[in-house]
Amino acid sequence: MTLTKLVIKNITRRRGRFLFTLLGITIGIASFVTFMALGGSLKDEIHRETAALGANLVVIPKGSCGYEQLSILTGDQMPTNISAAEIASIRAIRGLTVVPFLAQQTAINNRPVTVSGIEPSATLAFKRWQVSQGAYFSKPDENGVVLGVTAARQFGLKPGSVVTVRGEKLPVLAILGETGGRDDATLFLSMPVAQRLFKSADKVSYAAIRVDNLTNTEGYIEKIREATGLGVVSDKQMLKSVLGIVGTVNITLQMIAAVSVLAAAFGIINTMMAATYERKREIGILQALGARRRTIFTIFMLESGFYGVIGGVTGVIAGLATAVIATPYISQNAFTTFVKGSGSGDIIDVKVIAGSILFSAVVAVVAGIYPAWRAARLTPVEAISYE
Amino acid sequence: MNSIIRTEHAAKSYKTGEITTTALKDVSLEIAQGSFTCIVGPSGHGKSTLMHLIGGLDRPSDGKVYIGDMEISCIPNSDLARLRGKRIGFVFQFFNLMQGLTAIENVEIAMMLAGVPEREQRGRAEKLLALVGLAEKAGAKPGQLSGGQQQRVAIARALANDPDILLMDEPTGNLDSVAEAEVLDLLQTLHRQGKTVVIVTHSDEVAKRAERIIRVRDGQVAH
Repeated sequence: MTLTKLVIKNITRRRGRFLFTLLGITIGIASFVTFMALGGSLKDEIHRETAALGANLVVIPKGSCGYEQLSILTGDQMPTNISAAEIASIRAIRGLTVVPFLAQQTAINNRPVTVSGIEPSATLAFKRWQVSQGAYFSKPDENGVVLGVTAARQFGLKPGSVVTVRGEKLPVLAILGETGGRDDATLFLSMPVAQRLFKSADKVSYAAIRVDNLTNTEGYIEKIREATGLGVVSDKQMLKSVLGIVGTVNITLQMIAAVSVLAAAFGIINTMMAATYERKREIGILQALGARRRTIFTIFMLESGFYGVIGGVTGVIAGLATAVIATPYISQNAFTTFVKGSGSGDIIDVKVIAGSILFSAVVAVVAGIYPAWRAARLTPVEAISYE
Repeated sequence: MNSIIRTEHAAKSYKTGEITTTALKDVSLEIAQGSFTCIVGPSGHGKSTLMHLIGGLDRPSDGKVYIGDMEISCIPNSDLARLRGKRIGFVFQFFNLMQGLTAIENVEIAMMLAGVPEREQRGRAEKLLALVGLAEKAGAKPGQLSGGQQQRVAIARALANDPDILLMDEPTGNLDSVAEAEVLDLLQTLHRQGKTVVIVTHSDEVAKRAERIIRVRDGQVAH
């Protein structure tokens, strides 16, 4: 017999209570892990999308807030307020490569899809896309669509297929090679076609800009502002601003998760308190047999910690399973679209797993301190005389 | 007399709010090593309190208690626990076995608390269960054993660390006459092997087997 074996026998003796307490901590840790995994993938995706955008500067309508910057990365619908004249003024500044985008959404077979109006050749060069099937736009105003690889797969389209966008039938011209970003799930139209279908006249949503000299980024921002009066952010500012928004979301998610873990901790306290009352006489017997107060304390702490470790492991499994299974069903919006873009492989983060199990064990041990202290301070006579 | 247990003017009182209840007053006695002693007296007159004091389960409010040459009234809790584990074997009226453990595990647990390595526990526990005639019931849980069998497991557990003293509180109080006789025969055998046996009892049958009887009345030893 060892202390550990005794503890396991004590815990599993009352199977119903053991399972329900375990379920409590499992649910708590599972929600914690789910939120952490989803939150973690949001940040990773934002970094990835910012890099995929390939811009040093982004021009956005004046007065745009962080949410619009977030939409650039998520492919969400954006207001189209930047005129062709304004784009031309920016292009007049030497040292800049300017690529405008029209960011819209439409539905194909009742499923939402991001639509991006582009200048075909400028964007191809800017994004360094590869074309995997078919022939890319050959004219700046060609009537047709080019699809990201995921979008093509999602809607079962290939070059030669016909797709209806805003009531107009358009041929699929080409499928792009995999980029690993939002472009994979996007439907691209040439800018004049997109502006016609979405009734945007000559306007665009934003412009991505690459500068020839990074040390002069601030100077370029000033020049663009002077020339157009539009808002200009650097990729670093945009990243900071978007991560700030997502950070707030993450904190909210983590607070919700913390509440469920806290509830589970009280479940453990409750179980352990009940155990100290029920096993009072047993505590007395152990003391009569030579158990020191420290030993009694250790037994109860180990029991509590055991709940934490087992609950942590089952919680992590349940949480990751939920994150992987639930992710595709989360409705698409500016925040969750990032989650949609990430595969299950990204969700399973060793740090999250180890951290959650450790967190669970720590919570359980802290929850066990008071019941264990209550058990240890019983005097042998008090415990043995209990009926 | 070579005494193994000794009390000097030991007293015990309990305070509940403003009320102080005296359970024992001015008890001085000696119990010889290797003796078979019964502590008898009416219920509520302090027999169990006396057993708790001489077993190191409780401390006197006044006076001194010795086990051998060691005064145990004022030693730290951890030393007192070690003394209970190594030198004293307790047996209680209601057996007090741990319900979730088998007979042999109940014996092993006392060894575990005394720091006996796990690999040595099983062999020793099997020998002790054989000694009390329960070798075949080693894997049985308390609920599968009769009262007499449970009490014999409790005796095996009390013997786990080869203590000098066996302290028993009404060990046959919950047994029928056949089981009572079996347990008493076992205790006499242990006594003959050199153990000091001290039994708190109401039973005349038990008292008849003792070499010496200490009577407790109104919290005092009646001489």
